[in-house]
Amino acid sequence: MRKVFGVFTGLLAAALVYVLDNPIPLKTGSLPALGRLADPIAGCWANAEPANKDFGYELKFPGLHKPAAVWLDTRLVPHIHAADNHDAYYLEGYLHATFRLWQMDMQTRAAAGRISEVIGAKGLEYDRRQRRKGMVYGAENCVKAIEASPETKEMAEAYAEGINSYIALLKPKDYPLEYKLMGFVPEKWTTIKTALMLKLMADDLTGYSEQIPMTYLRDHLPDSLLNLYYPTRNEGASPVIPAGMAFEAAGHVPPQAPPHPFVKFDGSVAGTAAGSLRDDHEGIGSNNWAIGGARTRSGSAILCNDPHLGLSLPSLWYEVQLQTPDMNVYGVSLPGAPGVVIGFNDSVAWGFTNNYRDVKDFYAIKTVPGNKGMYIFNGKAVPFTQRVEHILVAGGDAVDDTVNYTVHGPVMYDEHFKEPNGFPLPLAVCWMAHRPSNELKAFYLLNRAKSYQDYTDAISFYDCPAQNIAFADRHGSVAIWGQGQFTDAWKEQGRYIMDGSDSSTLWQADIPKKLNPHVLNPERGYVSSANQTVTDSTYPYNYSGYFTEFRAWRINEVLDNLHDATIWDMFALQNDTRSILARHVLPIMLQRLPENVGMTDKDAYVALKSWDYNVTADSKPGLFFQVWWHCLYHALWDARFKAVPDGLLPSTERTMHLLEAGVEPQNIGADGPVAFSFKQAADSIAKLAKLGKTTWYEAKNTSVRHLAKLDGFGVEHIKTGGWGNTVNAMKGDHGPSWRMVVEMGAHIDANGVYPGGQSGNPGSKYYSDFLNFWTEGKYYKLLFLPNTDNASDPAIKYTITANP
Amino acid sequence: MKFTIAVVLIAFLSPLAEFLLPWWTIAVAAFLVALVIEQRPGKAFLSGFLGVTLFWCSDILFKDFSNAHLLSAKLAKLFHLPGYPIFIAVCVLLGALPAGLASLSGALLRAKPPRRKY
Repeated sequence: MRKVFGVFTGLLAAALVYVLDNPIPLKTGSLPALGRLADPIAGCWANAEPANKDFGYELKFPGLHKPAAVWLDTRLVPHIHAADNHDAYYLEGYLHATFRLWQMDMQTRAAAGRISEVIGAKGLEYDRRQRRKGMVYGAENCVKAIEASPETKEMAEAYAEGINSYIALLKPKDYPLEYKLMGFVPEKWTTIKTALMLKLMADDLTGYSEQIPMTYLRDHLPDSLLNLYYPTRNEGASPVIPAGMAFEAAGHVPPQAPPHPFVKFDGSVAGTAAGSLRDDHEGIGSNNWAIGGARTRSGSAILCNDPHLGLSLPSLWYEVQLQTPDMNVYGVSLPGAPGVVIGFNDSVAWGFTNNYRDVKDFYAIKTVPGNKGMYIFNGKAVPFTQRVEHILVAGGDAVDDTVNYTVHGPVMYDEHFKEPNGFPLPLAVCWMAHRPSNELKAFYLLNRAKSYQDYTDAISFYDCPAQNIAFADRHGSVAIWGQGQFTDAWKEQGRYIMDGSDSSTLWQADIPKKLNPHVLNPERGYVSSANQTVTDSTYPYNYSGYFTEFRAWRINEVLDNLHDATIWDMFALQNDTRSILARHVLPIMLQRLPENVGMTDKDAYVALKSWDYNVTADSKPGLFFQVWWHCLYHALWDARFKAVPDGLLPSTERTMHLLEAGVEPQNIGADGPVAFSFKQAADSIAKLAKLGKTTWYEAKNTSVRHLAKLDGFGVEHIKTGGWGNTVNAMKGDHGPSWRMVVEMGAHIDANGVYPGGQSGNPGSKYYSDFLNFWTEGKYYKLLFLPNTDNASDPAIKYTITANP
Repeated sequence: MKFTIAVVLIAFLSPLAEFLLPWWTIAVAAFLVALVIEQRPGKAFLSGFLGVTLFWCSDILFKDFSNAHLLSAKLAKLFHLPGYPIFIAVCVLLGALPAGLASLSGALLRAKPPRRKY
């Protein structure tokens, strides 16, 4: 009997060990192997970084050419001093891996549609979408371009070597915590993973498209209303290239549109998936500007940039300084790619905003009845090129998804993978990000640029995602280019889904990049961009895009009136939360609001009347306006577009202009939409107050969440003002991902901050240590070390001595 | 005395096992010690439980304090536990419980049952 109990308890212990040594599937996600995680030696406690950890050491790096040094400053920013390019990028890769391995691995897996490998079958839909939009295809083309240039081939390979040298040092206990929580292991780095990282950015910045909803809208609205609600040019734009500038190639005659370029379908199609409305993509984007020496107090140019991207921990960015005999550059790098993306060197500074010119179009594919391998093109049946996407699934069988490639690009949607709103025809996507391009070369050259000429040479390699690239040098000059690869479109090309069965709708010839809109030292003394319309109507090439205007209006209004600018003015402008929208529409709203309705919420009504349009964190009228505008916008449009599948609502800019012009598209409520929405807003505010949310920041809940949305690993309810349409574009989970202000004087005065920290380890004190500064609108002085073998600066805290 | 020796032996052997082998070899160590050292079943369970607790708890507390609870506080939130001390207690329990059971099993499977002394 005793022995039986002995065997029984022994089996019980073994069973318990088994349960604790394996992940436990749950209805929502799964629990990690708890025993392994709890283990002090190899589990989560191995990631509990001692707060006083010494990051300095001496190490032999296989494959390194010559001895090198990495000086880590008090904020854990590495200053890499290497003998050649290979060693600099090798060490950059090593450091990215040391501090951000899980993030870069996970993001490139996501880019490649390989999430199911980690999270199982619930990742399949996402993975198939990534594959079908051609992410891997685009990345493979990118690798070809990277490897065709000796400089970038060496750069990418040395970078991968550095990452792999770090991975080789790891035992399972050293894996970043997220690997342990999610139950997978690091994989070897190759150039395709770097290319995938670049494509992930391209998708984030150019993946947006409105052709499908516009196609429905065209069939729903008379032409007059279509043009009234969805004008092809934003009214009153303050363009990136100041209005009135003369353009080269002014004599260019754009190609003629073919007679029937767009897909037509019979009326039965419309209304298949009615009821899903989408707001305009208000306030996605970034700001940059550069002020020439003539308008600054010091006489030196100042360049500023704050790219607004998804906010996450670990942060998208990693600060780094790279020194070789031919380069001394500082800025933010993208873990997963070598070089510095946004920054400055001894001679020049540069910054990016997204240029929303449309570079992604959908083509409807005419299938051949009874033959799934063919489609119709120019009246003939043509075979698809088939690409089988093999998707591994954790805890399940692998899935093969066959994607048909056409002359336009991959068929993203068909009967095997339906368009989300039920568009009935197969759709192929033609996307600039599919083409072989070598943006790494642009970064490589920008990092070494010494002059305006070098900068233009560098960005001539920049194809996609198109960017407004601002520039400043140390002689007080500033410039901006709306750079990218574009095609010579006919009018309205790509506005609707095009007929993919005819060659007349194909993308036209490339526009030579030297003819892209640009300006050097404009008369007004500064350059700026904030995702607005790129040029005035005199630019000789046709283009369309997803431009937003509010931030540009505000920035240009401030800069036009600013003389003797200092970096302090720049800090203030980057943190500016004045709402141009409110300034334009609130007086109209208040004027159209019957007094008796306004007095139903007297406090708010009175506060709004004397409000300064500044959407600060603590603002109560700011909160009321934001909610009221939201309600009014939907009161004006929702009912009208409910019947349209994928109902895209007109832009905020357009809605504002229509209100100003006295057009009220929808009459709703007894006293009209303004009164109707005021009551709605008052109700919403009362509900928020019951939840204890009485100020703008509490209601909007700006958050920096963990990349995998792990509870407790992020920060919520950050006390910030602003919204997507103010310069400080703090939305719920999007916002200024890096704020940089650099004065390019005799001494380079560089300042920056990003919402995160240099370490991606949630168990490190460097995980989110910049967050408070970022929230408060403060900046760190960036330590730009001179290019010498023996750096000595009190801010250098640790040294990694790298030996070959 | 035997109990104390067993606890100390387990607290000493389980880190050695984990040094080279997976975490659950702490249970194997607890089992073997109980097999060798004669104990009553209840005490044997306790010796395995306490032996591993000594090892895991001291190591975890050391790491947690030098980390200023940064990680344990986050993980406590992730697993919806009220605070980092509870998370630490749960971690220790996850190691101590299988070890206690293994010791109990070892004591019961011993060839000769220990005689009670009165």
